[in-house]
Amino acid sequence: MKLYAYCLVEDLDAFDPTTRGISGAAVRSLQIDDLAVLVSDFNADTVAVTKENALDHAAVVRSVLDRTAPLPFRFGTLVTGQQLRSYISARKPALQTRFEHVRGCVEMSVKIIREISTDNETPRDDITSGTSFLEEKRLALLGSEQKAAEATEISTWLHEQVNGLIRDEQATVRSSEKLVLAAAHLVERDKIPQYKERLAAARKNRPELHFLFSGPWPPYSFANIELEFKTQFGVS
Amino acid sequence: MSSSFDQMIVTEEWESTDLSLLETLDHVLNRGLVIAGEITIAVADIDLIFVGLNVLVSSVETAHEVLRKRQTE
Repeated sequence: MKLYAYCLVEDLDAFDPTTRGISGAAVRSLQIDDLAVLVSDFNADTVAVTKENALDHAAVVRSVLDRTAPLPFRFGTLVTGQQLRSYISARKPALQTRFEHVRGCVEMSVKIIREISTDNETPRDDITSGTSFLEEKRLALLGSEQKAAEATEISTWLHEQVNGLIRDEQATVRSSEKLVLAAAHLVERDKIPQYKERLAAARKNRPELHFLFSGPWPPYSFANIELEFKTQFGVS
Repeated sequence: MSSSFDQMIVTEEWESTDLSLLETLDHVLNRGLVIAGEITIAVADIDLIFVGLNVLVSSVETAHEVLRKRQTE
């Protein structure tokens, strides 16, 4: 029998034993050293990606958020107890660093969508000479550079809006897409009202952009320990 | 369980229920701790909203398009 792993927690008392997990399975706390892993017993070899299962996973991780900042496992993590113990034992310092980083915080998500003009991208069928072809290419390049510059400006602008209110940021800039920026902010709990106010005000100043704010989330985007692991052990 | 950190989804024109699901999927499927080689998901029985997994979780823009189509149907 394997274990479905939801998240790691530092606070062993944060877990509510009445919580139900994937497919209604009981959730229990597996203590390993001074950490706990929330797990369910799981009989199958794979986890179906269904809306219900994804929401069940999220609900278990979220159930401890009021009391602690968990490190969530990615959906579909099936392991044996021995694998979990080996994983935690081998990465203990990196995990502790991550816990220190997210302690007292939640994740807030900001997605920004912009309208993109496609005037310079539509292939022309009246190109008859090499000069025209090169001119077309030049315009396309200029368009792509402009989009990249705009995307960078939006990313920088958003960071400035929340500067001083966030502990960390993970931003993905997609200069060629309408969804130009997906940012995750690590925010201390007592700063959430101020953070929300700041973004509400900022949004009014950029009517050309569309915003999607969501949160608070468990710190999914800040759980990755690979960086610390590489730093400590030189593993690449 | 009641929560003092109730989720907020703020948006201008989209249905927040669908977006809440999209955001949840984006978080649980794309992020979080990974134990190498131990992500064992099966995508054969997808009944996520509307369309395939890759399209769904990769872009809020996609949701926008889908919702717009639904509104015009």
